[in-house]
Amino acid sequence: MLITQLKDREIIESLICGKAFVINCHGCKEVFFDEKGANELQKELMEAGKLTGILTTDYICNPENMKLRLERYAKQIEEADTVLVFSCGVGVQTVSEYLADKRVCAACDTFALPGYQGVTPLEYDCDQCGECYLNLTGGICPITACSKSLVNGQCGGAKDGKCEVNHDMECGWERIQRRLAQVGRLDVLKKCPVQVRNYATYKDINKE
Amino acid sequence: MEDYTKYKLKGTDELIPLLSDLDNIFVLACNKCFKEFETFDEPDCEKFVEFAKEQGKTVTGSLKVDFLCNKTQTLKKLQEAIPEGTENIFVISCGLGIQTIADACPLPVFAASNSLNYQGHHGMALTKKACDACAQCYLNITGGICPIVDCSKSLLNGQCGGAKNGKCEVDPNKDCAWEKIQQRLAAQGRLDELKNQPVQLRDYSKVNFKVINEYVKSVREARLDGYYGGVHPSEKKELAEHIPLVRFPEPDTVVIPLSQHAGAPANPIVAVGDTVAVGQKIGEIAGFISANVHSSVSGTVVAVEPRLHPTQGREVMSVVIKSDGKNTLHESVKPRKPLEELTPDEIVDLVNESGIVGMGGAGFPTYVKLKPGKPIDAVLLNGCECEPLLTADHRVLLEYADDVIYGLKAVMKAVAAPKGIIVIEDNKPDAIELMQAKVEGMEGIEVAVARTKYPQGAEKMLIKRVLGKQVPSGGLPADVGAVVCNVSTVKAISDAIKTGMPLIERVVTVTGEKIANPGNFIVKIGTSAKELIDYCGGIVGDYAEVKAGGPMMGFLLPDLNVPIIKGSNGLICIESDISTEVSCIKCGRCVDVCPMELKPLYFSKLADAEDWLGMKERNVMDCIECRSCEYICSSKIPLVSKIKAGKNAIRGMK
Repeated sequence: MLITQLKDREIIESLICGKAFVINCHGCKEVFFDEKGANELQKELMEAGKLTGILTTDYICNPENMKLRLERYAKQIEEADTVLVFSCGVGVQTVSEYLADKRVCAACDTFALPGYQGVTPLEYDCDQCGECYLNLTGGICPITACSKSLVNGQCGGAKDGKCEVNHDMECGWERIQRRLAQVGRLDVLKKCPVQVRNYATYKDINKE
Repeated sequence: MEDYTKYKLKGTDELIPLLSDLDNIFVLACNKCFKEFETFDEPDCEKFVEFAKEQGKTVTGSLKVDFLCNKTQTLKKLQEAIPEGTENIFVISCGLGIQTIADACPLPVFAASNSLNYQGHHGMALTKKACDACAQCYLNITGGICPIVDCSKSLLNGQCGGAKNGKCEVDPNKDCAWEKIQQRLAAQGRLDELKNQPVQLRDYSKVNFKVINEYVKSVREARLDGYYGGVHPSEKKELAEHIPLVRFPEPDTVVIPLSQHAGAPANPIVAVGDTVAVGQKIGEIAGFISANVHSSVSGTVVAVEPRLHPTQGREVMSVVIKSDGKNTLHESVKPRKPLEELTPDEIVDLVNESGIVGMGGAGFPTYVKLKPGKPIDAVLLNGCECEPLLTADHRVLLEYADDVIYGLKAVMKAVAAPKGIIVIEDNKPDAIELMQAKVEGMEGIEVAVARTKYPQGAEKMLIKRVLGKQVPSGGLPADVGAVVCNVSTVKAISDAIKTGMPLIERVVTVTGEKIANPGNFIVKIGTSAKELIDYCGGIVGDYAEVKAGGPMMGFLLPDLNVPIIKGSNGLICIESDISTEVSCIKCGRCVDVCPMELKPLYFSKLADAEDWLGMKERNVMDCIECRSCEYICSSKIPLVSKIKAGKNAIRGMK
């Protein structure tokens, strides 16, 4: 799941260079896509004669269907100098691989959403670090709930339970302490050895 | 296909010390997501249970849950799942599922698995393309090849110089991303762009989790508002919502099917050569669930024969009438007693006599609804029109507000309901304002505004949203004290009382991006869909298809020579879809959007295997065929066709 925000209008206009063909991806729209903003902009561009066509579809990251759809619009794509894709980075790359001889541009920035890997918008984050610490922390993730991703307890910088990096955020380790106290497991924290984090890349870790 | 399974069991070296002083374990396992849907039950749960037993532990039970991170559904299951005597819960899932359970359970929760560590694979389809979600997309200057994920060093300003023979120095199995970028741009004649590009700086500041958290929270609230699930397809109502109603020109010939409703087709009571008048009954109700059918023109019956039906996709017995253009009224068409003097039974009889059926599309005989046999607390007047594109009900609300309210009062009187609630989605502010002004000071009638979400107009969703009540599985609205009527239906009831005119015409929207001139029309039942399309200037552009109804639940019309019937709220001309079904990847979207809280992905698998009993066990009969699952499916699986096949097979088993 990825969400996107439109790039600034000036940037989008500067990307067009001549005429553009627009591809909108609505696949993850239930989570977020600025449909109204994109529609208004595209309507104006169309009226100004800057577009050869618009294809609004979904899941352009699905390569089989993307191919079929691009074939249907081959002529309008041919007429365009630029293909302007309103999607996340995966979609833009899928299109640019199919249209390798075409100038393919991204009209959106992919919202930085590390941790939101679930299938439904959820308040929990998982950074997919590959070394789940939740056993030691009563099920509160120190990687995402602590600004510093500390794995051996609090940094000591919190004031009144608030993080020193982000005052609006609760100290993750205070939350962990409370949770463990609540379930009577504080000794787990005291007894556990120093945690060493593996910072290797995912490829190294998953090699086995 | 790539497998982006999210977790794997922790190693025994970690699990043995973890288990050492814990006992009485309950195991909760996620059935995994984002992998090809090959098996119903992932093996990790049994594996861990076995292992725990080997360690001499008591396992109080185990449960496999689909999409453990789907909080709403998981919490429902959890309530009764955990047996007495359980002291510790072990969760097998990615970090999201574990945190969901840890938050919800008072017992200590442990992770028996690690999330797999990979970055950037965010697409819905399982492709090799990766995106790091850096929020500073560089693809525009690199020919669509991502320097963040494809370059080992995530360099933004060209190659490091370490590549040998085009291979990365960090990972010799990998092509140098910057060489690929260079080649792609050279092929497109865009190398100058790269040369003239200013130095790119990357913003390495930390992600603002607060902003994301708040955003995600708001999305979730909107998703769960009123009822679980639902979707927000592009509405495109602006094409026709502002266009006032126009009476469609008198048709020369009408084809009136004797089956325009749920239940038994009406029996024809006219023969070829008979002269008929407007409002004359031509088909007699044939059973409890059936409806009368009337002539919409005056003229001569020229055929009583099977003709192609717009929504059944086959030929059904129809009466074909050639109009004499005079519109002579039948003697039965005369105003009835005012509502105040009509008894509830008289209202029900009149509704039956007038052939009124649900005009939202389903065509359930309305008189049956008006005899609920149970006390009714409220009549919900369904003005949601949640289908995209359609604006027929919207226009009826605006142009027949008084008739609609009169009809609502008649229904309230018929079922002895103290309350009538007009429910309108918030994308029709003009209708809301008008209706609020009209019902001001009226006793027992109010307007409820519902946040737009499809399929809000489905009875069960509407009841949940407005009354907060859940219609039991297999039950009817009356079971929770509600009757739901469409606005066009009550307008027809009002006409039947005020003028005595049975249901012979209705409001039809003709719209879509592929029709020349959209509009909203008052159309006689039996008018040809082709005449409407032609009248609106015909189809423009390529790859168009026409549907009877909306884009979500409408029926494809391969042949336009079909009549408008009582349930025809619109004809839409839209671009046809060209997608092929690919394998289910367990993305979980269908489960996330199903308003009946079913798991459509299983229906697809079970239908392919013709395991109808399996479908029945998974409550396929509760499916309302709203098509939300099919709309959201990232693999384009025709889920509703498969569900319908299952339902038909199950009905056949009885």
